[in-house]
Amino acid sequence: MSQKPCIGVNVPRVDAWDKATGTAQYTDDLSLPGMLHGALKRSPLPHARIRAIDTSRARALPGVKAVITSADLPRVRYGNWRFSPNTQDEYALAVDKVRFVGDPVAAVAAVDRDTAIEALDLIQVDFEELPGLFDLDAAMAEGAPRIHEETAGNVSVTREIDYGDLAAGFARADYVRDDVYLMPPVSHAYLEPCSSLAQADSLGRITLWTSTQTPYIVQCLLASVLGLRENEVRVIKPYVGGGFGGKMELRSWDVCAAFLARLLGKPVKFTQTRDEEICAGRRRHPMRLRSRVGFTKDGLLLAKELIVHLDGGAYNSMGPTATFLVGNLGAMLYRYPAYRYRGFHVYTNNPPAGAMRGFGAPQAFFVAEGQMNEASADLGIDPIDIRLKNAMHPGDKIRGFATIGSCAFTECLERVAEMSEWRRQRREMRPGRGIGVGCYSFVTGGNFNWFDTKYPFSAAEVRAYADGAVHLLTMAADIGQGSDTVLQQILAEDLGLRLADVTLYAADTSLSPKGDLGTWASRVTFMVGNAILDATRQIKEELFKVVALKFDTNVVHSFECKDGMVRVKGRPEKAVPFGEAVAMVQSLRRGEPLIARGSYTPRDMGLVAPTYSFGAQVAEVEVDRDTGRVRVTRIHTAHDCGRPLNPQAVEGQVEGCVQMGLGYALTEELVMRQGRTLNASFLDYKIPGALDMPGIDSVCVGGPEPKGPFGAKESGEGPVSPTAPAIAEAVWHATGYRARRLPITAEQVLRHLETNPTANDDRRVKP
Amino acid sequence: MSLPHFEYFAPRTIEEAVALLAGAGGRARPFAGGTDLLPRLQSGLVRAETLVDLKRIPELCAIGFDPASGLTIGAAVRLADLLDSPDVQRRYPAMTDAVSQTATVQIRNMGTIAGNVCNGSPCADSVPVLIARLAHLALMSPRGERLLPIGDFFKGPGETALEPDELLVRIHVPPPPPYTGFAFAKLPARTASDISAVNVGVMVARQGGVCGEARIVLGAVGPVPLRAHQAELRLAGATLGARLLEEVGRLAASETRPIDDLRASAAYRRDMAAVLVRRALVVAATRAGLAVADAAPAGDATGASE
Ligand SMILES: Cc1cc2nc3c(=O)[nH]c(=O)nc-3n(C[C@H](O)[C@H](O)[C@H](O)COP(=O)(O)OP(=O)(O)OC[C@H]3O[C@@H](n4cnc5c(N)ncnc54)[C@H](O)[C@@H]3O)c2cc1C
Repeated sequence: MSQKPCIGVNVPRVDAWDKATGTAQYTDDLSLPGMLHGALKRSPLPHARIRAIDTSRARALPGVKAVITSADLPRVRYGNWRFSPNTQDEYALAVDKVRFVGDPVAAVAAVDRDTAIEALDLIQVDFEELPGLFDLDAAMAEGAPRIHEETAGNVSVTREIDYGDLAAGFARADYVRDDVYLMPPVSHAYLEPCSSLAQADSLGRITLWTSTQTPYIVQCLLASVLGLRENEVRVIKPYVGGGFGGKMELRSWDVCAAFLARLLGKPVKFTQTRDEEICAGRRRHPMRLRSRVGFTKDGLLLAKELIVHLDGGAYNSMGPTATFLVGNLGAMLYRYPAYRYRGFHVYTNNPPAGAMRGFGAPQAFFVAEGQMNEASADLGIDPIDIRLKNAMHPGDKIRGFATIGSCAFTECLERVAEMSEWRRQRREMRPGRGIGVGCYSFVTGGNFNWFDTKYPFSAAEVRAYADGAVHLLTMAADIGQGSDTVLQQILAEDLGLRLADVTLYAADTSLSPKGDLGTWASRVTFMVGNAILDATRQIKEELFKVVALKFDTNVVHSFECKDGMVRVKGRPEKAVPFGEAVAMVQSLRRGEPLIARGSYTPRDMGLVAPTYSFGAQVAEVEVDRDTGRVRVTRIHTAHDCGRPLNPQAVEGQVEGCVQMGLGYALTEELVMRQGRTLNASFLDYKIPGALDMPGIDSVCVGGPEPKGPFGAKESGEGPVSPTAPAIAEAVWHATGYRARRLPITAEQVLRHLETNPTANDDRRVKP
Repeated sequence: MSLPHFEYFAPRTIEEAVALLAGAGGRARPFAGGTDLLPRLQSGLVRAETLVDLKRIPELCAIGFDPASGLTIGAAVRLADLLDSPDVQRRYPAMTDAVSQTATVQIRNMGTIAGNVCNGSPCADSVPVLIARLAHLALMSPRGERLLPIGDFFKGPGETALEPDELLVRIHVPPPPPYTGFAFAKLPARTASDISAVNVGVMVARQGGVCGEARIVLGAVGPVPLRAHQAELRLAGATLGARLLEEVGRLAASETRPIDDLRASAAYRRDMAAVLVRRALVVAATRAGLAVADAAPAGDATGASE
């Protein structure tokens, strides 16, 4: 009997039941006997020298077990960019100086959380306030104080890309745009605040349960900070309630939990509050982007110059990657014959920015797509047509850093135009309504080894047993995106098994094969998927040998694992049940179990990524002309993610991206004053809720990607970028208002309408 | 921050509750749904050593309607209960509009209308319609019960006429007067379910073919919910038309005293007050059976729906 395929069909998420019923255990749900509770004392000032810290009163509080400061910790700086040690600029607890409001200065462990928090107020820090630098220009000004002693001018990372003849391109251009865009800081707003629980054994070796996207990175960096060997630290990732890039580093509380657990011989848990998450957690980089683009009068792109200043806040965090990616992504999507990029990562006394979903792309594409839309209006070319003229195609090369693999961008544009009845709606929409388009591309995995790992980028161990069960071990970290499900699908499909035959053991560094760089850059399905296929190839080789032997097959025959059997292709009667075949291998190996290890590391695939997703999105809006309020009524997306392995999971990712993009476009912004975050709760930091969500149609377009496991590319991050530019264009279509900064507030739109009450109505066909 | 320690009482009678409040010498707080109180305790904005839970007092959980005396809402009646009440649905549509736009389903299942009032927030969504309805608050203390017009209750942001040992026990809403229409409009600050940047409750009474008495109450545009008296006077005796409503809206807006905050700027609030007043008046006039010449239909974005 033939089985249902495991790939390309809708498979319910393996974690759905646990999460829906509340039985899923997140880090903060965990508790160990004798566990202590930690809390961090954070700086109330944006920039100050620490003259002295007096912890005596805190230590005297009954129930307090320890109070530590940087004086207690080994003086080791860490940061994700191990490849460039000079970028590693963070201590777990501030040494000599605090650099942002929320910089941790001391940590407490106490018998309960309330006591730990009470103790924080008893810690006295004698600060000498220093001048704070809160915007890019102040930070880069001549003679500005240094935020980090080693970094004169406060620019910590720069990146340059140059190709083609820029001057000639602009000289030939009939139409040049030169715009400055300002992008706001926004929060990941993941629902699970960060938490970590550390336990030390009698030799001081650490087990750390932590809410992370990158168990291996945490393992390595934590070991380096504690002076342990990498393999004396075990990191376990329990269920994680969203990360979106905000949980991919070693963090102060991981270090403090582990250090205190060793010091006190008791497990210690730290859990962040929402206030801490919003004020001092990572955030999406605020950026100033100046972009100059030149077109022919027919709308062909000739040249682009992109100059980006990233407000990185007080530490580098993932800023170096952001500085690279904005530049790389600025050259994607369209064929730019000449391109010049200058990126500057600037230290300020704002809270540090880090990686966030679509890393660099939401900013880069808000600009690129915004300018494309403005050019289309000025040149009198339909926004979709001008994109079709410039769209990237499979095989395109970006000199020096990327070769485009599969690319169905053109098909995406055509499809989304069809879905949204673009041409009719664009002409006929009644006043007050608008329709706009935004497009995107994103990396599927990253090629650049910024962590300087000595292991493969991804690995998978497959253990096949004689009872027909198969175990999959991997360090892949499912943080809610659904990789646990899709990786099991890949394994089951390739071995011809059912999903129920597979058990996954993931994200425990002591059990999972080394290594895996974690969940970021939309890499997991692609890279771990390929590692699994590398392992199953070896498993199948062994299985095929015994089947060949059993049936004494002709050398021209080949074999397959299908429908629970290992069989000769085209000879269904020559088949052995999977478990029996495994038993035969095991017997031949005199008991040695059938285990294979596979890995994946991208090589010779350019500087950026093995392959890229593409897509196009159309937004329809309604603007209330009396209030300026924008309501998004419908979103259409055509997404090229290669082959969708679990279509409903892809759809879920696209819809989640729309929710985030909607917030970026209309409601979200961390409001800052002198380094302080003013809207530190979900009451004041507004993410769109169910009532704000428009209807969403999404389709997958394009064929399988040859490099991807079963043809897959990415779907979790690309679609976060188009929503804001599509909405911005729709708002322009409805009102004539051009947003070059986000979020687009009702008041901005209203003020525009007051001076241009009928703007843009005349562009439509009169009814 | 964590929730401070407090003592918790769940009395069964109003007398017990009042005694507990009086006995605590100002260090106790009535605890209804807790949707305002607990976050404020946690963030240190409110201090209390004792919480007196009102939800176990059967008398406070009742909604009653009597054609002569009107609607009586016990202090522990949840916002969701009001929405379920057929009397409210049928006779007090503007209250349904207001309450259904107050917070979210989850909060409405916990929070009470009395809590919304006692919290003293200038942007409380149930308040403008209660003021337009000339509701009275029954306040109980060891000195006995007093009845206060709700218009006299608000003293400033978070400040009310409540004495520390006083408990709001009931809200009285007079029966719907004939030939009148009430309406509510809200502009949530940013997302669809958000605190109001501005909210409005209005009444229009019909006198023949013109507007008789009118009331206009604006929230979130001053330290307390405000009556726009001049705008009300402009309406009295007037024939309603789009131009007049524009003018009344502007007049009402000029009577506001909004501030800039994270949710909206003062200027935007003032402008929106004019829009909401206009829209709410159209709905109220229609409900009162009065035609409004040349009026655009009220947009649903502000919630000024029928
Ligand atoms: C997520 C969220 C969204 C919200 N959205 C809105 C919104 O859109 N619009 C809006 O108006 N409000 C909103 N609120 C505020 C709040 O939910 C409402 O004000 C609610 O009606 C309060 O009722 P409660 O029963 O929970 O009051 P509680 O929190 O129990 O009490 C509030 C205050 O009133 C006092 N009090 C309560 N009952 C009495 C009484 N009988 N006598 C004397 N004092 C009393 C308490 O001591 C306390 O000081 C929101 C709150 C949250 C958390």
